[in-house]
Amino acid sequence: MESPPKSAGEGLSNPVLIRRLFGLAWRYRMRCVQVLAIQLVLLTMGLFGLSFTGIGIDYIRQVVAHGAGGPPVSQVHFLHMRLPQGMAPMRVLEVLGGLILLLSSCRAVLNYVYAVKVNILVQQKLVVDLRAEIYDKLQRLSFRFFDANTTGSIITRVTGDVQSVRMFVDQVLIQSVIMVISLTVYAIYMASLSPGLTIACLATTPILWILSAVFSRKIQPEYAENRNLVEQMVQYLAESIQGVAVVKGFGREPENREKFDGLNRSVLTQQYKIFWWVSLFSPTAGFLTRINTTVLLGYGGWLVAHDRLPLGAGLVVFAGLLDQFAGQVNNVATIVNSVQQSLIGARRVFEILDAPIDVRTPADPVRRPKLDGAVRFESVSFKYGALDPVLHDIDLEVKPGECVAILGATGSGKSVLMGLIPRFYDVSKGRLSLDGIDVRRLNLDELRRNIGTVFQESFLFSNTVAANIAFGHPDATQAQVERAARIAAAHDFIMGLPNGYQTVLGESGNSLSGGQRQRLAIARAVLLEPAILLLDDPTAAIDSETEHEIFEALDRAIEGRTTFIVAHRLSTLRRADLIIVLENGRIVQRGTHAELIKVPGPYLHVANLQLVDGRELQESPGGAAP
Amino acid sequence: MSDQDRSRNVFLVHRIRDEDDDEEQFKPLEWGLVRRLLTYARPVRGKLTVMLALTIIRSAQLPALVWVTALAIKGPIAHRDIPGIAAWTLGYILLAIVTDSMFHFRQRYALEIGETVVNGLRADIFDKTMRQPMSFFHRMKLGRIISRVTSDVEAVRVGIQDVGFVSAIQFGQMFFTAIVLAVSDWKMFMVVVCMAPILWVVNNHFRMKFSRLTRASQESFSRVTATLAESVNGIRVTQGFVRQDTNAGLFRSLLSDHSRYNIALARTSAVLAPILELNSQFFVATLLVAGGWRIFHGSLQADDLIMFFLMANIFFSPITVIGNQYNQGLLAMASAERIFRLLDTPPDWVEAPDAADLPKPAASGARGSRGARVEFRSVSFGYDPSRLVLHDVNFTAEPGQTIALVGHTGSGKSSIINLVSKFYLPTSGEILVDGREIRSITGRSLHAQMGTVQQQNFLFSGSVLDNICLSRPGATRGDVNEAASRLGCLEMLDELPDGIDTQLGERGAGLSVGQRQIVCFIRAMLPDPRIVILDEATSSIDAMTESRLQRALAMLLRERTSFVVAHRLSTIRGADLVLVLDHGRIIERGTHPELLARGGHYASLYRQFVQVDDRR
Repeated sequence: MESPPKSAGEGLSNPVLIRRLFGLAWRYRMRCVQVLAIQLVLLTMGLFGLSFTGIGIDYIRQVVAHGAGGPPVSQVHFLHMRLPQGMAPMRVLEVLGGLILLLSSCRAVLNYVYAVKVNILVQQKLVVDLRAEIYDKLQRLSFRFFDANTTGSIITRVTGDVQSVRMFVDQVLIQSVIMVISLTVYAIYMASLSPGLTIACLATTPILWILSAVFSRKIQPEYAENRNLVEQMVQYLAESIQGVAVVKGFGREPENREKFDGLNRSVLTQQYKIFWWVSLFSPTAGFLTRINTTVLLGYGGWLVAHDRLPLGAGLVVFAGLLDQFAGQVNNVATIVNSVQQSLIGARRVFEILDAPIDVRTPADPVRRPKLDGAVRFESVSFKYGALDPVLHDIDLEVKPGECVAILGATGSGKSVLMGLIPRFYDVSKGRLSLDGIDVRRLNLDELRRNIGTVFQESFLFSNTVAANIAFGHPDATQAQVERAARIAAAHDFIMGLPNGYQTVLGESGNSLSGGQRQRLAIARAVLLEPAILLLDDPTAAIDSETEHEIFEALDRAIEGRTTFIVAHRLSTLRRADLIIVLENGRIVQRGTHAELIKVPGPYLHVANLQLVDGRELQESPGGAAP
Repeated sequence: MSDQDRSRNVFLVHRIRDEDDDEEQFKPLEWGLVRRLLTYARPVRGKLTVMLALTIIRSAQLPALVWVTALAIKGPIAHRDIPGIAAWTLGYILLAIVTDSMFHFRQRYALEIGETVVNGLRADIFDKTMRQPMSFFHRMKLGRIISRVTSDVEAVRVGIQDVGFVSAIQFGQMFFTAIVLAVSDWKMFMVVVCMAPILWVVNNHFRMKFSRLTRASQESFSRVTATLAESVNGIRVTQGFVRQDTNAGLFRSLLSDHSRYNIALARTSAVLAPILELNSQFFVATLLVAGGWRIFHGSLQADDLIMFFLMANIFFSPITVIGNQYNQGLLAMASAERIFRLLDTPPDWVEAPDAADLPKPAASGARGSRGARVEFRSVSFGYDPSRLVLHDVNFTAEPGQTIALVGHTGSGKSSIINLVSKFYLPTSGEILVDGREIRSITGRSLHAQMGTVQQQNFLFSGSVLDNICLSRPGATRGDVNEAASRLGCLEMLDELPDGIDTQLGERGAGLSVGQRQIVCFIRAMLPDPRIVILDEATSSIDAMTESRLQRALAMLLRERTSFVVAHRLSTIRGADLVLVLDHGRIIERGTHPELLARGGHYASLYRQFVQVDDRR
């Protein structure tokens, strides 16, 4: 088994990541500034509303105590506003009530605008841009990358990790600025009411911060462990069901249940630990904010009693501010958490964006829209990174229109050898040339359009049959598509599908038989009229009973093209102009069937295994002469 | 590709609809379901009782704290009574200490009860699922079972931990606050009460709209991920056919389609929050004007107004909280129902109560007597009884014989194998093993004498050794090595990176097809079975591995009664009896030479098969 190296992760340090995340946010700076400006207005309006309530309370109390024409209500007024003198008391209250309503209506509208703007920034710009960028990059990365990373991990990068990265902008950057501004404004306003009370009430804030930091450090690994345990449990369940026939076949249900119960139980035990910490932290944090209220009552009450603080515009407003302050303080924990998450996500996202595209068109490519199909390997070696070479010193010359069959065990390098021609991989040593030109000097897109490939697993997309055949040439006419389908012996069965060429295939084309899918894959390859055809074991995924279905297709497709075919069956091997036998990345035998069958070696061994079957037909009494 | 085509293609990308999509997402509260869920809390019964008390106490504590604050302000503070201030402050902090220490238990117990229920549910799902006969797995998709164990169970957890206890407390909080307010001044309280239904209706209207939009957004997102998964899996095709730019454009239009739903979602929630806030501000303004008017007319104490300001907040806040919880609760109910429906699925059949173990004859070294005798007597079978896939099948496998099953896909080969394994019971007719009806034999004892190799060569993650020992728990390394050497493939185990201790990924990742099959052979060989069931792999194994496999296969089948779904000619030729199946009937039977001589269906099948090899 070839095991290519994992792409170099872990590379970016936190400071570098943060700098790059700032760079990302800078791209959307105008939108960020707009959003922040709205928040600032909202904050100011909130303070006005709160102080109006306080003033109202004080006014009522004062009117009750002294009558309407008494002395000014209180010493401290927000921004030195004074209530108009000589107005009827009810009028004053109506004006205050109206102002509060007006302010909150404005706030409501602005809040709406804020939420929508943030979402447009995040969902319509940031996330879409990032995902599109990653997707675009993904499509250009060489096969090495996909050999090294699982589909699941790549998908999470485009889905979950992108969300973590955008969190840095809207949850971390914007929220931090809002938090800093709000805390400052609240603190200043509170201090303007009473500096002493402000300090006394905010004394618990640092404690709360330290506490949440300690808590989050304590709980993070527990949560990670929990995810791990749950994942193990679910995976075990999935495997038990996928392999249920094995489990039942060997009568292992009781053991399986026991194992699952163990896994399930360990999730529970570990969760209990988390619950302890959570139930320790949140009451403590709650208690700390109640200490603030206690201070407010005791010290604030004392201040009011000594006439150093008005009751409404002072104490009641203070209580309201304290409430909002606590809200912002709690935000810190969320922000810290988000930073962690977005750094993890960013590392994985940047890993893709930074991954070098190792196969690309050279700066000054040779243009060759139509190749003849002469292929030449000159002492070509290939290896994944620093691993042992997969191919050693391959020398091979193929004339246009010739058919080369490759025989070899799994892992002998057959697929890689073919993958070198369309530059799915680049040679590590030596030279590979088409029509005498080094493949690395050709325009990459033109090169690949000259090559038709049929893979071992015929991957079809969830689209119409026609679109799948025209995959490499989306503007192909219906006539072209049909011609390709006829060459691949697919036209008849396509016409038998519910909507003919417009039938939509299910995911991965799973509504068709293996033979049908493979014939569509052949049609897809020949539509391009390629000079070179690569067939990677096209009968691998097909029942031996239906195998003959695609032989007709192959025969026609091969005609007139330089063909490389990985094959195990003598029938295919025999029709090749040249057979090469690969063992551990080296060509150990080469020649035609007639030549190789005469010399002892791996080819003869394989041939014998199959010939035994073939001969018997002639010997058997009832067998008709072939 | 024109833009029009592209937008058409966006909608071609559809997720394969799961039956789950048609199931209801929300379900009204149903006591039967709640009671049944609570039975799972039995291991923590004590905590549940304590929780009831804690819930009631806590719903009184929260209003009490605010009430104390309000009383302190309107009483001693307003009247400048310093000792009074000190006393009330002390009272407040004491109440706070009691409240928050009890909160620890309230929170922890709620979490623990929820987890216990969820844990019980998961264990039950696994247990019930594994007890189901194979026909169940034929119908049920893995993804659905997984979503029962993950997302549905999580919804139930939220339902218990948050919705259940938190809503109860929130209701209690409203109730106690209402009492305090009504007692202090019932006229002002009426003003407060009038606002509550408005809040409730507005909140729920938006929540409903919100969950509808959420669903649409999720659907568009699944289109994004489905396309993404296809693109990654098909990357070799994409690059081979130079489709990068077309695909990128298509993906981008999918993304903007998805973002449209998200923005609609954001707009909805962006309306709700300000409306709720506006409502409470409206209340403040009303209180100020109406309260002021009454104070000036002497029917209300000025200081009572402060209490209303403070307490109104804890009267209103539960409304939005409960609104959110309500939706969560509906989700949890629907999930609980889905889980119970899975648990309650009756098995198609259960083992007969009088079934007895199949005795294993004393290991006599005598040749030919080691296998079991298996007889099919006019067996008919259908996975769906109204659509038979086997019709009146009769044959006898004498001890030690190899029976090869030949025929096109869907001809009934696998069904025969499934019946011998007792994965399914025949619809009519009898299957006899050593002369005993298969229904009267326990599945476990039958399987203990059976070695099975399936077509897909399923291996579990874990070491190669673990996988092999699956067939005989407690087998030693020596046993495994011995089984391997009897099959003549010991050196193949040694060739693995870490030999027998090589760790396999999910579904046996890390081994080649041939290696996987060898491991499965050894696994089947280890318990020294009397019956061997083998579904030969169709995917081509490279010719060199193939020759080794054939040797091992011959060893595995020797002296055992074996049933082989045969794809290899060599296997068919070696069989004692070849059954040729077509549309669920045995159309020809005999040995390979006999059948060739007959020149019938088998002979033509064979010629077709061999001719492929001999075309030139």
